[in-house]
Amino acid sequence: MQFCRVRSVAEAVDELSRWGTEGRILAGGTDVMPQYLRGEQSPAALIDISGIDGLQGISEVGGVTSIGALVTMRRLATASLVQLRYPALAQAAALVGAWQTQTVATLGGNICSAAATADTLPALLVADAQLMLVSKSGRRRVSLEELLEGPGVTALRPTELLRAVEVEPLGERGAEGYVKVSRRSAMDLAVVGLALRLSVTPSGVISGVRIALCGGARAAHRVPTAESLLLGSQLSGDIDVFGAVGEELARAVGPAVSPEAHYRRRVLRGLFDRLARRCTAQIPGASG
Amino acid sequence: MLVQPSERDVTIRLVVNDRAHQFDVDAGETLLGALRERLGLTGPKEACYEGECGACTVLVDGGPVASCILAAGSMSGRAVRTVEGLARAAELTTLQQAFVRHAAVQCGYCTPGVLMVLTALLDEVPDPCESDIRRALAGNICRCTGYQQIVEAALDAAASVQP
Ligand SMILES: Cc1cc2nc3c(=O)[nH]c(=O)nc-3n(C[C@H](O)[C@H](O)[C@H](O)COP(=O)(O)OP(=O)(O)OC[C@H]3O[C@@H](n4cnc5c(N)ncnc54)[C@H](O)[C@@H]3O)c2cc1C
Ligand code: FES
Ligand code: FES
Repeated sequence: MQFCRVRSVAEAVDELSRWGTEGRILAGGTDVMPQYLRGEQSPAALIDISGIDGLQGISEVGGVTSIGALVTMRRLATASLVQLRYPALAQAAALVGAWQTQTVATLGGNICSAAATADTLPALLVADAQLMLVSKSGRRRVSLEELLEGPGVTALRPTELLRAVEVEPLGERGAEGYVKVSRRSAMDLAVVGLALRLSVTPSGVISGVRIALCGGARAAHRVPTAESLLLGSQLSGDIDVFGAVGEELARAVGPAVSPEAHYRRRVLRGLFDRLARRCTAQIPGASG
Repeated sequence: MLVQPSERDVTIRLVVNDRAHQFDVDAGETLLGALRERLGLTGPKEACYEGECGACTVLVDGGPVASCILAAGSMSGRAVRTVEGLARAAELTTLQQAFVRHAAVQCGYCTPGVLMVLTALLDEVPDPCESDIRRALAGNICRCTGYQQIVEAALDAAASVQP
């Protein structure tokens, strides 16, 4: 195996096109290295992108935030911009492994590994994340929804690098959050993770809903059928609708092929209720 | 597992415990392997080799990392601190002294990693509460102490550096 330390995006895409499917990008390495050490992966080259400064920043351009692929979980969890405008993402990042993992694990790595249990994915889905991809033959932009094809499977080409992620901030009259159930309270992959983003009109009507799940059988995904149940509800009034949404989410977990699926369904109902109450309590004048 | 015959060397330059080093590592080598086998720093311990237990924790640019799953080849330009780099001129740090006072060490296998995480915490939050300490330690497994003495030592260390 060869170790290629690249210093720029241009060098990275050169190496990627040179190695093709034989090369593997190394960012924080928290997925790549354990797989290599266990003998599950033996690429001909590790293409180490961790020294590319241009993939590090968080910036705001025209109301959209661009997060570099190398931004770490620790940084997402502690940056005030992320805490204020992308609270679900900050909360999800704070739940990835323990501090030792968060110091090195990158957002790009979490996206490109595309584990069914990847914590940042539901939070990114509710922020309508768009991915900036680059290869030797050019640039393209795909939505996160389009990228995720299945557990560990993405539409990323072997010669492509994820450069940055663009996310849409939470509106002024909005609230969002991420909750996760795992076997241990720290250091464990999600059995199920749930992100919710709400926006509400001044008269308390829910005018925007995004709900996304991870930990189901497939890749992380939005659940439009559950979203539409909530859309148009009056917040201050009857919130029995939360129960119906929880039921709909449970149905989205897929056929009850395993005890895990059964368990996920059971916890999802309670999890949604908890998250929805936490979010609505944060919306000014909506706690009726 | 650390050294496979087909691997190509990569040269790294880094600072470990305030001393500059330059040496070759293998492509799949871990920072833990490099520290222990090339630099003779056996403070960071080998246990799970999966990033799960914290025994191998060192600081990279001040942040705690599981060195057992970190590629040594990525470490150029980084500053690493291991437990050997805590005491200055043979004087233990306030945290280390508190560990001694509180008998927070039993078999000692987890101790180097625990000390590194708590050192990072006290750098960031000089007056942590018990839950800050427990949260910081979520990635460190100790099979002996039950954590209580460790938490008490950390609280004591924080109190003794307060003005
Ligand atoms: C102890 C432990 C606990 C963990 N707990 C959690 C958890 O609770 N929740 C969770 O979601 N994950 C968890 N993980 C998994 C892992 O830490 C995350 O998926 C992490 O975000 C991966 O990022 P990385 O930078 O380390 O990726 P790497 O390991 O460097 O890369 C991961 C994959 O993405 C590709 N890649 C990386 N960056 C790019 C890029 N810019 N462009 C194209 N491809 C790229 C790599 O080639 C590789 O296939 C845990 C891992 C460990 C070791
Ligand atoms: S040996 Fe590194 S975390 Fe266990
Ligand atoms: S003192 Fe023995 S593992 Fe912690």
